[in-house]
Amino acid sequence: MATVQVSEAEKVYILHGIRDDLRVDGRGCEDYRHMEIETDVVSNTDGSAKVTLGHTAVLVGVKAEIGKPRPMIPNEGYLEFFVDCSANATPEFEGRGGEELGTNLSNVLYKVFSNKHSLDLHSLSISPGEHCWVLYVDVLLLQCDGNLYDAISIAIKAALFNTKIPRVNITSDDEGGKEIELSDDPYDCMRVNVENVPCIVTLCKVGHRHVVDATLQEKACSVASLIIAVTHNGTITCSRKVGGGSLDPESIFEMTETGKRVGKALHAPLMKLLQQEESLSKKRVRVGFLC
Amino acid sequence: MPTDTKRVRGPDVSQSPVLLGYKPAAVLASRGPREDGRQRDQVDVRPVFVRCGLVSQAKGSAYIEAGNTKLISCVYGPRETDRKDETDMKSGRLTTDVRFAPFSCPERVPWIQGSQDKDLSLMLHESLQPAVCLQRYPRSQIDVSVMVLENSGSALAHAVTCASLALADAGIEMYDLVLGCSLQQVGSSYVVDPSYLEENGWRCNSSESRGGLTVAFLPSLNQISGLQSDGEMSEETLTAGVRTCIEGCYKLYPVIQKVLTKAVRRAAPPST
Amino acid sequence: MAGIELLSDQGYRLDGRKATELRKVQARLGVFAQADGSAYLEQGNTKVLAVVYGPHEMRGSRSRTLHDRAVINCQYSMATFSTAERKRRPHGDRKSTEMSLHLKQTFEAAVMTQLFPRSQIDIYVKILQSDGGNYSVCVNAATLAVIDAGIPMRDYVCACTVGFVDETPLADLCYAEESGGVSSLALALLPRGGQIALVQMDARLHQDHLEALIEAATTACKGVSKVLDEVVRQHLQEASVLTGED
Repeated sequence: MATVQVSEAEKVYILHGIRDDLRVDGRGCEDYRHMEIETDVVSNTDGSAKVTLGHTAVLVGVKAEIGKPRPMIPNEGYLEFFVDCSANATPEFEGRGGEELGTNLSNVLYKVFSNKHSLDLHSLSISPGEHCWVLYVDVLLLQCDGNLYDAISIAIKAALFNTKIPRVNITSDDEGGKEIELSDDPYDCMRVNVENVPCIVTLCKVGHRHVVDATLQEKACSVASLIIAVTHNGTITCSRKVGGGSLDPESIFEMTETGKRVGKALHAPLMKLLQQEESLSKKRVRVGFLC
Repeated sequence: MPTDTKRVRGPDVSQSPVLLGYKPAAVLASRGPREDGRQRDQVDVRPVFVRCGLVSQAKGSAYIEAGNTKLISCVYGPRETDRKDETDMKSGRLTTDVRFAPFSCPERVPWIQGSQDKDLSLMLHESLQPAVCLQRYPRSQIDVSVMVLENSGSALAHAVTCASLALADAGIEMYDLVLGCSLQQVGSSYVVDPSYLEENGWRCNSSESRGGLTVAFLPSLNQISGLQSDGEMSEETLTAGVRTCIEGCYKLYPVIQKVLTKAVRRAAPPST
Repeated sequence: MAGIELLSDQGYRLDGRKATELRKVQARLGVFAQADGSAYLEQGNTKVLAVVYGPHEMRGSRSRTLHDRAVINCQYSMATFSTAERKRRPHGDRKSTEMSLHLKQTFEAAVMTQLFPRSQIDIYVKILQSDGGNYSVCVNAATLAVIDAGIPMRDYVCACTVGFVDETPLADLCYAEESGGVSSLALALLPRGGQIALVQMDARLHQDHLEALIEAATTACKGVSKVLDEVVRQHLQEASVLTGED
């Protein structure tokens, strides 16, 4: 995360621009930067995606492992999130430096998915009370240039869309012992329904207005931001105020409204894009980091 | 302590038997009166008991009790910063630390700070920071610690209230007090200041959508310093929920003010 | 050899390569805009990102400052999803600490550190996908990243892992071969002068074979250096076309 120093004059320039719905890079207040998505980039995972948003780069890998369900909810699988702020992004993250940010980000992700409809956890159950699929969602931050939350949530959605969980057969012998057998056929797999997976929209309050997808400069001018996780039908699964300042209740309501509108509009093109990429299947040229 | 690896011990992970035989009763129904007799769909916060200045060694402290939720908060400082390389010449540093006592929840909580505690600490920090005049304390650090003695729901909301009271008791300059209030939405109805069961019971049954919301509010400045929601809510319910929580904060305000004046009076009795 | 046959009678390996054949190397310089130098390198299925920051002022404690040369600081980490079985921590375990140290030693031999006294150069490598030869691929990627950062080096540092099976040295081992119980040797070479920057072997090998093995490793490293040189030249050509200095 390159630290930016913004002088007073620059701040005034950015603030006045945003007041007139024109940002430093020419965007309007509700526009995202250029975004690139590619799925299936790491073959050791069950699903992966790479998202770049401006200079922010995120890689998400999903691994499915068989585990034991939680005692209170025996008939459901669960998700585990881990955010690795690698030193690649900034030397400050070296050693244990990135851990704090990593836990903060993963805590938000747990909150975003802590409801019954974001992901059908029942479909991850193998045999109630004994075995279930645990989806390890590992986020790797490669470069930070503002708006981490949005980039991560989009990458997670894309990676879950790409996730292929092998089918399992349970055979039980005469003594009541159960044996789990994984399907050998790589095409015989289960997909995760990602329709309801929310996307996070971060709204940054700059002056009297708020902007979507703030750059680091804009973030330096703002007092506080609001993050909102929105599903495709407009349900809000998580909202949170971040950043040092406080906000007026009225502006929170305005920001929620914008967040919902922007978030809802984000889902349709994203799903279309993912399906398009999926339909290319073998004809697709994998670029990864090579371009 | 070195553990004896040679002896055969119990399983690595143990679970409380409470969880296995746990059957949430009708308390979670979205209709009818609440378990503790409070009203649904109304700003019916639990009556609170609040006291200031009970920890003599801390600069400031406060204790809050709302129903069975009991918290204690201590403030230390302002003092020199621990990490010299991060000394800020223009403003002070506020550090927050929220911990659950091992016996505070139905399930035993380990002493080591887990990710839930860290998350709450961060939320507390976010909520308190806008209220404290940190520029008055350059190159120094103010430590706020909150210990949850018994968690019977809405721990974060009461932690915010309690910590801001402790800050005020410590004589730290603040723009305003910070009050916290939380709300649980179940289907189309809501409960204000939910109890532990109302907060966590959804995990087991109920097909209805639900959501939780916590707001930290600066009453005299009319500003929201902390907001957190999870679960599922529509935009309208979220907006309405925030309004309800603000109302809940205002209900708490006179009580907190009274406690604070009482503490000040005791510390410096009016000379007659 | 127990288990799988690593070298068939016809002289082919598990993935169909000949004994001296390298895996396909693909690389790109300047992947990230914010870092001073960065490179991405694929060697077969092993994929690595390397990033270089610096030379800059010493960060953290000043006591590590060297007054006649730059300090090289390396961190090796693996993405949690990079291996077949999920890793719990990306770095900080003993193996990664050792790997970081090896990288540091390698680059201290290659980078002209005496040009930057009292400063620090950070080299961070991240394994995105692991399929054998992690050390070698990291060195190759980090070389490109250092070049991209414009830090003077004596020469490319090229590394390769070689193994010894049935009296034949195998170049550039993949994971299946590495875990198949082959005695393997990792060698980092400055190819132009033929100087060895680091050699590491932790398996049993008859001393008569050592020379042949190092010979094979040297040839393989020289092969890698050719590929890297091509990548750098192509990158520079593209860059100079873009800036109009052709």
